[in-house]
Amino acid sequence: MDLSSSGIQEPFDLIRLSLSERVFVKLRGDRELTGILHAYDGHMNLIMSDVEETILIVDTDSVPTGQGVLQVAKRKMEMLFVRGDGVILVSPPART
Amino acid sequence: MDNSPPPPSNESPPPQPPPPQATHTGSPTDFLKGVVGKRVIVRLTSGVDYRGLLSCLDGYMNIALEQTEEHVNGVVTNRYGDAFIRGNNVLYISAAEPI
Repeated sequence: MDLSSSGIQEPFDLIRLSLSERVFVKLRGDRELTGILHAYDGHMNLIMSDVEETILIVDTDSVPTGQGVLQVAKRKMEMLFVRGDGVILVSPPART
Repeated sequence: MDNSPPPPSNESPPPQPPPPQATHTGSPTDFLKGVVGKRVIVRLTSGVDYRGLLSCLDGYMNIALEQTEEHVNGVVTNRYGDAFIRGNNVLYISAAEPI
């Protein structure tokens, strides 16, 4: 089964093709990362560098029934090991 | 007084049901094979939906999607050209077009 324009046979191929590229990672706990992907394994443990972490803080107390107030905190890390079980989604840069 | 067993019935065995339509029956694996390359909705346990073209998936239900839209409460919150979704987060995969 050959998909149009993509040489992807299994989902991990998407990650393999993103090595040394800047990727977007969505983590549990309303956290997001962008950084250069250096390594990964079958657990989706990741090694990333030049990482910016974005933490979404939803304050539900201040609004009775609404979405809550969204507050964003950011921080940068030079080198990061991400434990795979926290990963929800990884998005590589657009393929050409 | 012996009660002899009832004579064998002359009725023929019930007719076999017609073969099911392949598109609407089959195992979960058959369904997943059928939706590869189709548009799907992937719902995560968190309630977030991802709509996109299903490139492929594996035994862990890790998923590769193309042309992905992230929907939260019915609102598009993100778009990704490609997306890898780690299988443990998946609640269901729904076909968004006829299989």
